[in-house]
Amino acid sequence: MMFKPSSPLFSGLLWKIPWRISAPQKARQRKRLRAVDRVVDTVSAALARNGQTAKPVTRWFNEMPREEEMLPKDKYTIFDKKEKKYRKGIHKLPKWTRVSQRVNPPGF
Amino acid sequence: MSYFRITLVRSAIGLPRRTTDVLKALGLKKRMATVFHAVSPSVAGQIMKVKELVEVREVDKRLTKQEVRLERKPDPGYYVEKYSGAEYKENRTA
Repeated sequence: MMFKPSSPLFSGLLWKIPWRISAPQKARQRKRLRAVDRVVDTVSAALARNGQTAKPVTRWFNEMPREEEMLPKDKYTIFDKKEKKYRKGIHKLPKWTRVSQRVNPPGF
Repeated sequence: MSYFRITLVRSAIGLPRRTTDVLKALGLKKRMATVFHAVSPSVAGQIMKVKELVEVREVDKRLTKQEVRLERKPDPGYYVEKYSGAEYKENRTA
């Protein structure tokens, strides 16, 4: 049988984001985190060679953990006050492949 | 004097207006476009705004658009032979 009835096919516009993030998605997320780390490292090294500093760069180093320092919990989930255990998958965050989301409210 | 070599690898479609404006200020109009900017705190701040979208390298000199294009040119797979006399003269001078 060609047609397999499922909710997205049966009722007009229905997109579903899976509850779980897949292993390749996680691998790509780590890759992106490392890419951002690399960009910041390059910028700060170039400035240091000129004897300069920039506020956003120093602030990033003070506040943000690096990819290897982050807990899996912080890499793949984000805080959400409406969720049962205050956590949901990071893939539910709009534009999640192009925004930096590394820290969460203290205690969560 | 060193330069940032900035390449836009992810597009800013659907991102806040500010992000697009920063890319415009850097001179990045489309994906895989490359620009060169002298290393300075202000350019560093601009890069930090779009750090998820770009690839950055520190280089010693800025290349022209043509030179950036030539980097991507594949090897033609052949070479044009010369007269032995011309090749001999070239080797003598080199």
